[in-house]
Amino acid sequence: MERDEQDTIIATRNLSRTYTMGKVQVQALNNVTLDIRRGEFAAIMGKSGSGKSTLLHQLGLLDTPTEGEITIDGVEISGLSESESTMFRLEKFGYVFQEYAILPEMTALENVYLPAMALGLSRDECVTKGMDALEKVGLVARADHRPKEMSGGEQQRVAIARALINEPKILFADEPTANLDSTSSKQILELFRELNRDIGQTILMVTHELEDADIVDRVIWLTDGAVVERAG
Amino acid sequence: MTSTTTELKVSAFLAYKFTAKGNRGTTLLTILIMALAFVNLMFTTSVFDGMGDATEKQVIDTLYSNIVIEPADEEVYIANPDSVVKKIINVPGVIGTSAQYVTGATIAYEEQSGAWSIRAVDPDDERTVSLVPDMMVEGEYLSKYDRGEIIIGTEIAGGHGGSLEHTSLGGVVVGDTLEVTFTNGVRREYRVKGIFDTNFIQANQLAYVTEKEMESVLGIHDMASQILVKTDTKGEEDRFLKQFVELGVHEDIKPWTVYAGIVATLTQSFDALNALTGAIGFFVAGITIFIVIYVSTVSKRRQMGILRAIGIKESIIIRSYVFQAVFYAVCGCIAGLVIMFAILVPYFIKHPMVFPMGNVTLLIEQKAAIMRSIGLIISAAIAGFLPSWRAVRETILDAIWGD
Repeated sequence: MERDEQDTIIATRNLSRTYTMGKVQVQALNNVTLDIRRGEFAAIMGKSGSGKSTLLHQLGLLDTPTEGEITIDGVEISGLSESESTMFRLEKFGYVFQEYAILPEMTALENVYLPAMALGLSRDECVTKGMDALEKVGLVARADHRPKEMSGGEQQRVAIARALINEPKILFADEPTANLDSTSSKQILELFRELNRDIGQTILMVTHELEDADIVDRVIWLTDGAVVERAG
Repeated sequence: MTSTTTELKVSAFLAYKFTAKGNRGTTLLTILIMALAFVNLMFTTSVFDGMGDATEKQVIDTLYSNIVIEPADEEVYIANPDSVVKKIINVPGVIGTSAQYVTGATIAYEEQSGAWSIRAVDPDDERTVSLVPDMMVEGEYLSKYDRGEIIIGTEIAGGHGGSLEHTSLGGVVVGDTLEVTFTNGVRREYRVKGIFDTNFIQANQLAYVTEKEMESVLGIHDMASQILVKTDTKGEEDRFLKQFVELGVHEDIKPWTVYAGIVATLTQSFDALNALTGAIGFFVAGITIFIVIYVSTVSKRRQMGILRAIGIKESIIIRSYVFQAVFYAVCGCIAGLVIMFAILVPYFIKHPMVFPMGNVTLLIEQKAAIMRSIGLIISAAIAGFLPSWRAVRETILDAIWGD
């Protein structure tokens, strides 16, 4: 039991999220209880509107659940203030969004090391770590390029490098391949797989592509905001 | 590295990237607008300061010099003015003195007449304290032993396009004879030796005769109504006053400012106008920056959401926009000063504005420039803060995925 607790990096208990839209209340998540183990590569899947992204947002501290508890890396996160929550995200999380969410005014390297800079690292340290992260995603040669000079797949890999720079406990990915062609999508998923396998990176990924289930350790299937099936 | 230093560093980094690597057209246009806002703020002030400065110069150069020594209370004249001059002439910084008689008189020419002040001077001494001898537009200035001759300002002579043409003698020229009736009843005729134009309405209403001429009119000798003292600097009159008293000058000693009520009145009026135009200028500049930053925050709404999602603090993001706004303002101030010094000041030196106090050019006071720069920067900082602060109020999800 003790070993299980140490292995669990995310634990939710009776997690619910209800949105009020006008006079209508929409229950996006309904009593979700689940554990994610350290080093696990899990996919959150389900039909459109099933609550996949909502669950990811709760776990990634981008939104606040209406009810329930979330414990991440041993910390019950409902007690965190806004600024503590921000620091928690900076120190422990990495994010990859559906769109290539990198800043157009910065080079690939600058985009990557921005979170390290926010942690207080010196410029030299930022550059070193940034180049290491770019090496992990195979983009060292594009370090000085700006987003407009890169393909969608390359931009998404820059976003992944940025997510990795602070050596996060958990990498959250919200439909990271949705805007990519099949070749780029495959490269991104393979990159996730490698990161998970080589450095034990915990990855929680929302996807609607059924074939992505083949590459992950586990699928968390959501229907109408509730976990109905778990597949290995 | 402390967290504050880190935050400042990241804010500055973001601001630099957004400004330097963003849309250059927007950046240049914003700086240009800030420069024009700064010029707008400085221009009015510089005109007012230029008018004040021109008036001060005229009062000193053509009316009262730097210091005026008048008879002690209850005395009409300073007796033995040379003894007073001897006491002060060697004070370091004193570069000239002129003992004068001042009296009122009615001056008539043909059918025209009017009441004006006549000063009686030693022309050689007068040259050390006044620029009137250099401002003759017709004829010549007085010589030490002139008798029966007078010089008059253009506002007395008339015919020179003065502001008081209707009260003038209607077009006196050199060589004409004027009939002068002094306040003691003595009436004499004087040949007009010269006409001067100082560009200063007050100075142009004076007439001058020689000291010896006036002594014969008044029937007195070795007296003076006032002694004008020229110093090598302006603004240190109080120091000279103190020194003169210490040297045993018992007469009434006054700085030129006492006689320059017009300057004080102008300054008060200008200060009120300056405050008004300044407030409007700061408001316009602030609104401009607000709109620029507001548009930027709207267009970068999703980007700001993503920055917050990856753990960049709201304060860092807000500060980055404040830094941008301050950068625009600082560049605007610098560009504005360049426009002022490289274009407007030289232009107005070449084409001065003509006012009753003389030709006015732009005067850029260091203090005014600094105060307006600071004001503009503060306005910009506030205008940069408000939209960015508002933008980070919305939830991260709304910022990234909202409508």
